[in-house]
Amino acid sequence: MSATTVVTVSWRRQARDPYFIAGISIYLAFLLIAVFADQIAPNAPKDILFLDNGSLANALPPSAQFPLGTTTSGCDIFSQLVHGSQSALIVGISAAFVVVSVGTLVGLLAGYFGGFVDAALMRIADIALGIPLLPFVIVLAAFLGPTTWNVVLAMSLLLWPNSARIIRAQVLSLRERAYIEAARTAGSGHFRILFHHIAPNILPLALLFGSIAIGWAILTEASVSFLGFADPDTTTWGFMLQDAYVSQALSRGLYNWFVPPGICIVLMVSAGFFISRSYEQFLFPRLRD
Amino acid sequence: MKPLQPTRRAVLGGALALASTAARAEAGDAIRPLVLICKPQATDPAQYQAAQLCMQEWRKLGLKVTLQVLPATQQSSVVWLNRTKWDMTTWEMVGRPERSDPDELVYSLFHSSLAQNGYDFVGYKSPEYDKLAEAQRAEEERDKRAVLVKQAQMLIKKDQPYVYLVYPRRSMAFNAEVWDPATVVEEAGIGIRNFWTFLQAKPLGAKKDMVLNSPQPISNLQPVHMDAIGSWVSDLIWDHLMRVDIHGNPVPWAAESVRWVDPVTVEAVIRDGMKFHDDTPVTLEDIQYSFQLPANKNKTPQFYPNVANIDQVTITGPHTVTFKLKTPQASFFTSTLSKIAIVPKHVWQPIVEKLANTSQLVEDYNEPKMIGSGPFKFVHWRDPEEVMLTRFEGHWQPPKLENWILRTVSNQEATLGMLRNDEINFLAIFTGDPQNVADLAKQEPKIKVVTTTDLGFQFIAMNERRAPFDDPAFRMALSEAINRKIMAAAAWNGYAEPAGSCVSTALPFWHAPDSLLMGGDIGKSKKILADAGYTLSGGQLHYPAGRKEEITAG
Amino acid sequence: MSLKALLQRLGQTVFILWVVTTLLFFLFRLMPGSPLAAYIDPTMTADQQAILLHQFGLDQPLWKQYVLYLMNMARGSLGVSFIYKEPVGGILLAALPNTLLLTLTSLLIAYAFGTLTGALLAARRGTWLETVTLPAILATRALPEFWLGMVLLAVFSFSMGLLPAGGATSPGASFPSAFARYTSLDYLRHLMLPALTLAIFLQGLPTLLMRSNMLEVMQEEFVVMSRIKGLSEWSIIMRHAARNALLPVATALALGIGSSIGGNVVIESVFSWPGLGRRLVEAVSGSDYPLAQGAFLMIAAAQIVMNCVADVVYSTLDPRVGRR
Repeated sequence: MSATTVVTVSWRRQARDPYFIAGISIYLAFLLIAVFADQIAPNAPKDILFLDNGSLANALPPSAQFPLGTTTSGCDIFSQLVHGSQSALIVGISAAFVVVSVGTLVGLLAGYFGGFVDAALMRIADIALGIPLLPFVIVLAAFLGPTTWNVVLAMSLLLWPNSARIIRAQVLSLRERAYIEAARTAGSGHFRILFHHIAPNILPLALLFGSIAIGWAILTEASVSFLGFADPDTTTWGFMLQDAYVSQALSRGLYNWFVPPGICIVLMVSAGFFISRSYEQFLFPRLRD
Repeated sequence: MKPLQPTRRAVLGGALALASTAARAEAGDAIRPLVLICKPQATDPAQYQAAQLCMQEWRKLGLKVTLQVLPATQQSSVVWLNRTKWDMTTWEMVGRPERSDPDELVYSLFHSSLAQNGYDFVGYKSPEYDKLAEAQRAEEERDKRAVLVKQAQMLIKKDQPYVYLVYPRRSMAFNAEVWDPATVVEEAGIGIRNFWTFLQAKPLGAKKDMVLNSPQPISNLQPVHMDAIGSWVSDLIWDHLMRVDIHGNPVPWAAESVRWVDPVTVEAVIRDGMKFHDDTPVTLEDIQYSFQLPANKNKTPQFYPNVANIDQVTITGPHTVTFKLKTPQASFFTSTLSKIAIVPKHVWQPIVEKLANTSQLVEDYNEPKMIGSGPFKFVHWRDPEEVMLTRFEGHWQPPKLENWILRTVSNQEATLGMLRNDEINFLAIFTGDPQNVADLAKQEPKIKVVTTTDLGFQFIAMNERRAPFDDPAFRMALSEAINRKIMAAAAWNGYAEPAGSCVSTALPFWHAPDSLLMGGDIGKSKKILADAGYTLSGGQLHYPAGRKEEITAG
Repeated sequence: MSLKALLQRLGQTVFILWVVTTLLFFLFRLMPGSPLAAYIDPTMTADQQAILLHQFGLDQPLWKQYVLYLMNMARGSLGVSFIYKEPVGGILLAALPNTLLLTLTSLLIAYAFGTLTGALLAARRGTWLETVTLPAILATRALPEFWLGMVLLAVFSFSMGLLPAGGATSPGASFPSAFARYTSLDYLRHLMLPALTLAIFLQGLPTLLMRSNMLEVMQEEFVVMSRIKGLSEWSIIMRHAARNALLPVATALALGIGSSIGGNVVIESVFSWPGLGRRLVEAVSGSDYPLAQGAFLMIAAAQIVMNCVADVVYSTLDPRVGRR
């Protein structure tokens, strides 16, 4: 079976899976919102708004002007939510991209070359697995200043080993397959075998980790925001929840503030889980029926 | 004449410069982007919002202002320790009982001697102000002193070293089914969370324990250590010769009477029959020792300033202790006699001896038994959960409540839930939006809220060591641009009063009402800048002619 | 697992602990700003600051500080907290039981629920139950913990008044011993909400894992054989399949203990729970470097040790790993 067929078959089966459809639809919807955020959102996310009579537009209930009402400091909740999808996608995708790239590369190299390379890389993986993620992000945020990129950086440094280990195991089994043997006897170099013959087969597995990592990044960012180490310059859903929390939105019954960002996070993160689940079904077909 | 676009000016070159008036011909350099330091929103949402509002206004003047968010401790470290490295910062002076004498703030914040590494962290220097600050410190007569204190405030209004914003109004609350509302008293500038409430609060029913909240854990409870929240506790365990009453005036407490013999001599008659919690009597030697303990600058740096002006403490009679001061100090009763804790010599002398040749500070020592002579004695400190005190029967005025328990509750929303569910019955501090407390009281009639204008104040400090903040006109322009009324409404949700000086309206005797600059007129700001020679070019504010930008931004 | 492999794994664990300790030391020392920022009083003179730097050994060259740090560590000393002026070890040891009890209780609930639900879902594959439950379980894994915690607080504590809103014991409660405290009904009542929140967040993994393992195991020969033998479906599931499907779940549990201790940070803040995570957050916000470093190290050590335990458990229970 050649690499291309694996991917194509994967796609065809995926396209019919309801989990996959749900996940992809959610992603696409948020992507659209993020791209057209400036058109959709009536206000800048952090603008402090005043009513026509000059008074601060704070803690207003949902209305035509403010579809989800305003925060206690006079910001438009709907606009924040819309802009939040941008940061969620940026953080999620960049973290996922780095985590999966590093994980795949390490997995490929360790699995294919084995021996010393394998041992060294796996020890580094053990070290990264020994450092707790959330505390690490908090410490980074405190020292390097509170920016969203700390989440991406910390995830990149700590979360690749999970994917690397599984991909390594997969490469170990692929390495012995007949068509790889054939390529090797035909005189293909290591580089060609790795990236032309093996890597494409790893792709679905990498995407599986990628879709989970997007969710992790968003959840981690939300936790870090909640603990007060949020990036003041960006509007994330985590920031919104934290803002609502420090303003005691729940006690005041401002559910229009406290609930929507939570739902957005759940949707976005579950979308990743849904997609990963449908990949699992493909990757481990025995589970299917 | 409209300011020219830089490109066109470059093309036209010198010809035009010759043609225009001398003053306008050579504008100074463009003012660099200014940086405003602020704590994270999570730490202090109101301050953060205030910073945002100020920047919105200042940008209208043609300034580039950026926000630099730093965690509280990093902010202090930059502002206090790197005094030439910052432009502007949000800041607050908190209200403490001893600040109900205006001396500490009036003197320390702006006296030029403290610009190097003291409290005058903005580097304000004015010989005229120094004279006023010194004069009020030496003036014994209260009325005359008040005049001087007010003059000092008016001078600050003219020079605007700070952009004063507001005196916050703080809400505290208690359960009126548990505590007799008549016995919960409000202290000026402090609120109902004060010594007198804890002493007098009368339980109405079977529940006799007062349970209070604190948002952060306590770091230290010792009598020679200052800690924002630990001081609430140590103030109850250790007594003082005097205490600040609910009107902000020092009154004799462990001393029966205190009087000025002359401008540098104070005589205190000590109450008879007082006991420490270990049942030993409070002797005059103990009193004398209590004022000597913090006098070692290297071992007790925090309390040293409070006793630094004492030359000598002597026992001058069977019940009398006499203080000789180095210089006259009108605030001595408040800042020293009401502040210094009476400690048992037999406990602390061995500790001081033990630590004498080590690098450990006496103020950092954790004396586990915490023996004082105050109306409450120590039971346990389960950090970071709670501190528990109990009534000291041996005190000459024992409290009416049974146990006093301070709980650490990190979640502000949960704090309100606890008040509703009787898990706490005294809301000692609430760092969230005070409106929520008011709303809770509306739903739950048993909750009584008392809102008090704070002794402390919120402001934006401008670093006078760095241009353009060295120019009073520039500072005035920034200050005029800010509308304090909107500030109080929009950043503090209405729980604040516009501020104009370092003496809060909570102290009407000392406060100068005319010191308030309400502000909010951008046109006026622009005019002040134009009159001082600042020009706008390409939408950006430039220094007056001949002034160069000598500081790189960032 | 052979003794040799076991010793090798233990050696690796010690090595990882050392590397992480070293990384932490340099991470904290090379950070911008004075490490004493939180501690230095604004009114202090340069001399006094120098005395302090000396007191904490911060005037020594970096390598000397490092050697000293390792030596202290070997003696079990983690330094003195800047804020509390108390040994860091003592402060953390007081918080550790709270964190462990919270973690273990919630994992116990999560894994008990997860294995049972997972097995059930596997048995009811293709039914409406699966259609409804599976996405729901995936969605609970996607909830931000503090959000869930706040909602549970609002429901069970603020509105219904059933459970306390924070802390580990009631105000003023005193106990004859630490053991009496941790086993008291009062402590349990306070533990319930935070543990439940964490459990809801954690149950997704064991549920899904158990389900897929069950599906896999159900197709193995011995299950097919049992079916042919005519054993009842439940007996097959519980006696044969579940036992074999539990192995990866057990491994995940070991890993979960390690990683949850670090993840508790958020829950501890929501419920004012006096644990390690809150110590870490406070220490970091207050620039209390020794305390932050100590708390971080303790959380990391828990994770590293549990990673090792998970490996050992896995290879002991699953002979295939050893042979590969």
